[in-house]
Amino acid sequence: MTDQTIRTEAERRASDRADQEIIRKALDEGVETVWDRFELQQPQCGFGQLGVCCNNCAMGPCRIDPFGGKTSHGVCGANVDTIVARNLLDDLSVGAAAHSDHGREVVEVLFKTAEGKGQGYQIKDEEKLIRLASEYGIITEGRNSNEIAKDLALGILEEYGTIKNSIQFVERAPAQTKEIWKKAGIIPRGIDREIVEAMHRIHMGVDADYVNILLHAMRTSLSDGWGGSMAATECSDILFGTPKPLTSWSNLATLSREKVNIVLHGHNPLLSQMIVNAAEDPELIRFTEEKGAEGINLVGMCCTGNELLMRSGIPLAGSFFDQELAIATGAVEAMIVDYQCIYHSIPATAGCFHTKVVTTSTKAKIMGTIYKEFTPENAQDTAKEIIKLAIENYPNRNPDRVRIPEKPMQLMAGFSEEAIRAALGGTYKPLIDAIVAGSVKGVVGIVGCNNPRIKQDYGHITLAKELIKRNILVVETGCAAIACGKAGLLLPEAASMAGDGLASVCRLLGIPPVLHMGSCVDCSRILVLAANVAKELGVGIGDLPLGGAAPEWYSQKAISIGTYFVTSGVFTVLGIPPKIFGSGNVLNLLADGVKGITNSAFAVEPDPVKAADLLETEIERKRKALNI
Amino acid sequence: MKTVFVRQERCVGCRHCEVACTIEHSSDKGLLSAIKKETQSGPRIHIEVVDNYLTFPNRCRHCEPAPCMQVCPTGSLYRDETTGSVLVDYLKCIRCTVCAMACPFGIIEFRKVPLTDLNREVNAKCDNCIGRLNEGGIPACAEACKTGALEYGDVNDLIRVSRRDFTTRLIMSQGAESEVPVIPENIRAFKAVMGKLATLS
Repeated sequence: MTDQTIRTEAERRASDRADQEIIRKALDEGVETVWDRFELQQPQCGFGQLGVCCNNCAMGPCRIDPFGGKTSHGVCGANVDTIVARNLLDDLSVGAAAHSDHGREVVEVLFKTAEGKGQGYQIKDEEKLIRLASEYGIITEGRNSNEIAKDLALGILEEYGTIKNSIQFVERAPAQTKEIWKKAGIIPRGIDREIVEAMHRIHMGVDADYVNILLHAMRTSLSDGWGGSMAATECSDILFGTPKPLTSWSNLATLSREKVNIVLHGHNPLLSQMIVNAAEDPELIRFTEEKGAEGINLVGMCCTGNELLMRSGIPLAGSFFDQELAIATGAVEAMIVDYQCIYHSIPATAGCFHTKVVTTSTKAKIMGTIYKEFTPENAQDTAKEIIKLAIENYPNRNPDRVRIPEKPMQLMAGFSEEAIRAALGGTYKPLIDAIVAGSVKGVVGIVGCNNPRIKQDYGHITLAKELIKRNILVVETGCAAIACGKAGLLLPEAASMAGDGLASVCRLLGIPPVLHMGSCVDCSRILVLAANVAKELGVGIGDLPLGGAAPEWYSQKAISIGTYFVTSGVFTVLGIPPKIFGSGNVLNLLADGVKGITNSAFAVEPDPVKAADLLETEIERKRKALNI
Repeated sequence: MKTVFVRQERCVGCRHCEVACTIEHSSDKGLLSAIKKETQSGPRIHIEVVDNYLTFPNRCRHCEPAPCMQVCPTGSLYRDETTGSVLVDYLKCIRCTVCAMACPFGIIEFRKVPLTDLNREVNAKCDNCIGRLNEGGIPACAEACKTGALEYGDVNDLIRVSRRDFTTRLIMSQGAESEVPVIPENIRAFKAVMGKLATLS
């Protein structure tokens, strides 16, 4: 490849300059990345992309002719609507399971902490503990926080297999929204139960009615958003503190030339937050100096990065697509991963440099990595061991192969629902007034990942810019938030890119026009925000001028998030087509039919400017219905 | 004359034809033996892709006259008169690759082929599944294709369908909105989304 072709290819792959710089280095050095593997996978099977391939049983695999030919049924007799709906439910359940199982681990650590068995953990947010305890009807008076936390943890753990036929957090939704769910028969009956029932329905010869399958998909998504994800967010807040606005830095320039670089990647803050604490250990800092480094530089990646940024201001090295690029800088001593969104080829990438990859979860082992099993009982010891291992690796760094981009981008994060409410003065009234007055037209949540089908971050950034220009406040989580962080949109100064109305609100409150609300389980914060605003107005979530978008999604988790947004009443635009286009009926139901149930629907629109048009139209429609 | 006719608009890029072709040309025509290295089997039909979503199954057209046959210096390429297939006598092939230079479709590849004792690479082009044809069957690729992108039959019968499509399009073009060949609405929507994604930014 010539320098010019490398430059052009880097610009085609990513929006961020720091990313482009390291993509060029990777291309130059022959380090394989996600874009190379995507290229090698072309063409990708159309049956799969359309969702008409069923590989569930041993009479198959079967595929339906999308052009209406003879192959119209699987061997089992399933038609195209059944197969497409079942595949969607399957994907969605995987996503819900990922979020909810992550949540379970956090609640378990809360329980161990309350029992005094969590090494290094403590209850950080007692106010939230008490608030949740009262939701669960747990007596708080005259009891210490460990006693309360134990009862609360047991109460939330019980939700996973509860026999009471509903879960507590659903009660947070406005009455009108709950009524919709009740009428449709989709109030989640337990967190694990909906996923297990989904697996049952997907088995051959069970549910064939695509409408019935999709209704269950909606219920399963609610068990994630108003269940497992919410449990993850709330219990992480209790253990590590509820985020408050703070400033930090982002992009690959957050890596250090002089310090030991440790990248914390994955989704769960349980171990990484311990690493943050342990990194201050004077003994470890002394050891760093012994090895010739000037200290320890912790940087976050993906949603583990978001969790650490939100609570501790740890800089973000990047998003899902930056994991290989971070290693390709040649400056990473260790990458610590927990689970979800970790490329399984990451040890091979690390093998091109001195980087050590450390896996920590018994659920997510990767051959070729160092495995340090994390348990609540050994959290602190494991954290120190891992840091030590990174420091020991520092002398192996080859300075000739190091390249770190020059300029990190500053950002502001930490906008939990509580923090947003506090910024508004304790009530949503100022926001509601601004919405009624029209200076803020509405609010859109942009969430989701990166996907090689679209230039990295292009969808996120373009959509966010387009929306704020139209006086629509943007709230973000996950890799969408990281994208906008790298692009400088998470700064109060970005108000200059917003429309006059939104800009003045931002300037008044000193907040950015795009608010970072956390990791992907923290999409539950968006639900709570929507619920609280709706309750203050006395309407359902579906009545509010809200929207959702996932411009660059790839993960099954995003399907669950998108579906609980829509099911909660939020119109949601996807930038990447879900694998449902093989069935006109499923497509119509999700893009249109569902409106009759939830007053919201899905749309697919890859062009972020056109996606902004769709969201604005929807917001206008809802404003009109509210007479504002 | 019978041929494998390609209807590009129906190709979904599943590469099922490539797999079926590889199996057909493996030593014992099974999926498991086809994936073993020692059988040295490989596809003789190639799904080419443009913009990550537009696909075309490219395969030997068994031309008449065939440029590859005309330039072959050893006469290793010959025609089976009954089926019209252009075939290779592997023993005579000297891997000079002149046939590949002459091929208008670029589909000739050289590799070791099973079912011969030759320890050298030869022209391993599509043989139209001559064994299947002789037994009254159809080529493996056309059999594997479940979307009608590859159809085996009398060339004029297959062209007739396209002709009808063309005629309809011609007549309908006077103001009527009709797509020929008819692509279901959901598939059209999918192609539109993928097309948009391919040209973004």
